[in-house]
Order: sequence, then structure tokens, then C-alpha cells
Amino acid sequence: MKEQRNMSRKKTPPSAKARPFTHDKPRILREPAVHNQKAQQPTGSSGQPPVTSAQSPGAFMSAISWPDKVLPVLLALGAFLVTAGFLMAFLFAAPVNGAAVDGVELIGNSMVSNRLLLSQKIFYFHMPVALVSFAALAFAGYFSLRYLMTRDQGFDLRARVGMELALVFVLATMATGEMWTRFEWGVWWTWDPRLTTYLILTIIVIAYFVLRNAIDELERRATYAAVISIIALVDVPICYMTTRLIPSSIHPVVLREGGMSADMGLTVTVVMVGMLLTGFSLYRLRLRQLRLSQRVEAITELLHDEVAR
Amino acid sequence: MAGRPSAFAHYRILIGKDLRREFRSKEMLSSMGIYALLVLIVYGAALAQTERAFDILQMSGGLFWALVIFTSLLGLNRSFAAEKEQGSLEGILLVPMDRSVIFLAKASSNLLFLLIVEIITLPLFYFFFLTLTTPAPSSWLLIAPVFVGTLGIAGVGTLLATITANTRGRDVMLAVLFIPLIFPLLYACAAATSAVLIGAGDFMQTFSVSLALAGGYDLIMILIGWALYDFVISA
Repeated sequence: MKEQRNMSRKKTPPSAKARPFTHDKPRILREPAVHNQKAQQPTGSSGQPPVTSAQSPGAFMSAISWPDKVLPVLLALGAFLVTAGFLMAFLFAAPVNGAAVDGVELIGNSMVSNRLLLSQKIFYFHMPVALVSFAALAFAGYFSLRYLMTRDQGFDLRARVGMELALVFVLATMATGEMWTRFEWGVWWTWDPRLTTYLILTIIVIAYFVLRNAIDELERRATYAAVISIIALVDVPICYMTTRLIPSSIHPVVLREGGMSADMGLTVTVVMVGMLLTGFSLYRLRLRQLRLSQRVEAITELLHDEVAR
Repeated sequence: MAGRPSAFAHYRILIGKDLRREFRSKEMLSSMGIYALLVLIVYGAALAQTERAFDILQMSGGLFWALVIFTSLLGLNRSFAAEKEQGSLEGILLVPMDRSVIFLAKASSNLLFLLIVEIITLPLFYFFFLTLTTPAPSSWLLIAPVFVGTLGIAGVGTLLATITANTRGRDVMLAVLFIPLIFPLLYACAAATSAVLIGAGDFMQTFSVSLALAGGYDLIMILIGWALYDFVISA
């Protein structure tokens, strides 16, 4: 795909009208980078900064880079693994013993002394989804930090996409967690430390987007959003460690519950890998979509200018 | 030739400016004080139908912190509104100095105003709600969580108020960002305050752990605010 595009670019006759068009495009898309280049000029070489800024970031800015080529495969693999994990959770992983029954009773078709917990199957999705949400938040925080260091709008875009992904997975975690509290603990909500810190995380992620919508200036919005996502990142280790630090928390920790049997471990690993692949593919897809729409916008603007001229 | 004024001199001048303006206009202090009184009256109505024997002590720590959070939201909103409206922030930014000093100065003056309001509201809270019961003899210890909590509120609040001063619908925006971010501190401070007010069982354990958590939160958040403030105020 990339080669095709390069070829077509080469094919276009280098006429007086077409040339500035191809050179202007990346420059308009990366206005802050040009500004950045200006700041660095004293240290760098003094040779034609606009040309270099249009070429080297062009590779960075190109909408289709290597992960996108394997993207359909990754997404399909992720979807396959999640589906396989879903089936494995019900068909392969052994049911977990729950509350004891009086004596031995016939449940289903077998004599059991323990009520088997079907709701425990939620775990195979809840934990992977929660870990992916933490990973997405870490990505968003990393790109936000990079944005503050470089003032490159490309990093702001990545941070925003990371945050969008975090929102999706945070909501999925809340949904599966809600099922767990209802069916395992028998309550709709409890102010357990883990639940509380995760609820806070959810609200911060939502607040991130509320903040973004409340600011119009491009650079200011990016800076403030970056600051908030870095602060949000502080809550991630707190949330992760809280069940380990506060043993009275009713939220289970797998290791404390005695670890997992091999079939459980395999199932949760399959779902975990599937969710990571799905999350990564969604991230790249969304990033590509946003970049392409930015390009379309810039090209439309250029065409309008061209027509006006 | 006198050298450039030190960071501490900048800090002192900025704090002096905030204090002078506040003691002339009394804008923040009066609005926060009246608001706190009104919240107490709302509490009165909200709790009026409870049983006579109902032990208010159980929830007084939480109620007090809810009062502090709502009151400080109001004050923090005002703290940057004036700078924005009169364009004095641009003047401050023209001074060649470490921008983090602005954060420290603004947070200090906000801390001072919040503490003044708390000194007024704490006796009022006692007067309205705690005279019916007998708080534990360890109650005086609550000045520790009050101070640690207010320190964190001033630090986080100053950073967020700077951000929201430039957004649409800034009052709501500050609440949306402030309440979730301050939650760990609120939780720890409410726990520590309730522990010393009730003073039952192993309360010193809860008190010291909560206070340590609140102190750790303050430290992390103020360091983050101090490090990121340059970006925020320059944007």
C-alpha cells in the first residue's frame, strides 16, 4: 500500500503546480513540528529546514506504516483468540467450587457437594480487560509526556487515541466487574478499595474527554490533556496495588486465592493475548483513521486555496 | 549592581500581592465563609429527621470533609478568575523567573485562605452538630488531618484551577477534574478525622495509617504540580 502511494507520487509530473502541493502537505499537517524545528535551529545544521522537516517527519506522518500492514491479521487473530477463550472458559476450564451444599446433592446431572460457580467465568474476561485498560493508560501517559517534551501534535493524537482505548476497556472492566459484584458477592456496589480506586479512574478518563471538549485552542488543549493524563497515571499503580496493600479488600487477588490450575491459566492467557492484540489493533486503526481524516482536511483546505487563487 | 532577585523574593512578592488583594476585596474569604455556613444549614435540614439517639459522631468526619471540598471548590474557582479578568497573569508571566514559583505562591495563598475559612467553620460545625454528643478526648488531633488535607487541596486545586481558568464552563470543569483527583486524599482525611472524633478501639492505628497515606498523596501531587506547572501556565 505504501509502495503504491510512493509510486503514484513519483508518477505525478513535477509540474509547477503539483510540486508545492506535495511539499506543503506534510508541513501543514505538522505545524507544531515546524515550530519545534525553529527552536532547535541553532544547534542543527543551517541547511533548508523546511525541506528536511517535510521529508523526515513525512515517514513518521505517513498514514500507513509497518504495523498497519499486519493489522488485519492482528485484529483477526485477536478476535479469534478472544472467541476461543470464551469457548474455553465454558468448555475447557474446570468449574470452580463455590459455597458448600448440605451433604451431597444432584445438581445438573452429577452428584456434587459444592455448588459450582458459573459466575466465576467472568474472571477470564474481567482480568485481561482490566490489564489492557492499565496498559492503554500507560501508553496514553507515555505519549502525553512525550508531547510535553516535544510539543509535537502527533504525540497528542496518540495520547488521545490511547485514552479513547482506555475508556473502552475501562468501561468493559466496569461492566464485567459489575456482573461480578452482583453474582459473586450478591451486591450491586460496595465501596471496596479496589472498586473505589477503579471508579475514580473511570471518572478521570471521562473527565479527560470533557476537558478536551471544553478547550478550542489546539496547543492548549493538548497541554492540559497531557497534564491530566499524567496525573491519571498516578492512580493506576494505586489501583493495581490496593488489593495487595489492603488485605481486608474483598476483591480477590489470584495469587492469594491459591493461584490458578493449568486449564484456568491457559484460558486466561489466551483471552489476555487476544485482548492485547485486539486493543493494539483498535489503537492503530483509530490512529490511522484520525490521521487520514486530518490529511483529507488539510488537502481540502489546500484545494480551496488553490481554487481561490 | 544588585543581582536578579532570588526565587524566594519572587515567592514573597507574589504571596504579598495575593494577600493584599484578598484583604482589600475580601472576595474569596467572604464568599467561602458564607457558602460554608449555608452548607451547614443544609446539613441541618438534611439531618433534621434522624433519630434523637442517632450518633452524629459516626458521620461527622465525612460531613466536615464534604463541607471543606465544596467550599474549597468555590474559592479555587475565584483564585484564578480575578487574575484572568484583570489580565494580571500576563504581567506575572512577563517576569523572567521560574514559573514553578508562581505555583508555590498561589498554592500557599490558597492554603492560607482555606485555613482561615476552616478556622471559622470548625467551631461552627462543633456548635451546630457536635454539642449534642461528646467527641472523644483525642478530638484535638484532628488538626493534623485538617492541615494535611488542606495542603493537598490547595496544591491539586491550584494546578487544576489554572487549567480550568482557560476552559469553557470553568466552574463545572473544575469540579469534574478536582473531585475524582482529590478522592484518595478525601478518603484518607475523612478516615483519620472520624477515627479521632470517635476514638474507639484501635483508633490510633487507623489515624496514623490514613495520615501517612494523605501525606504521601500530598507529596506526590505537589511534586507533580510543581513539575508540570510550567507547561500549564505557559500554554
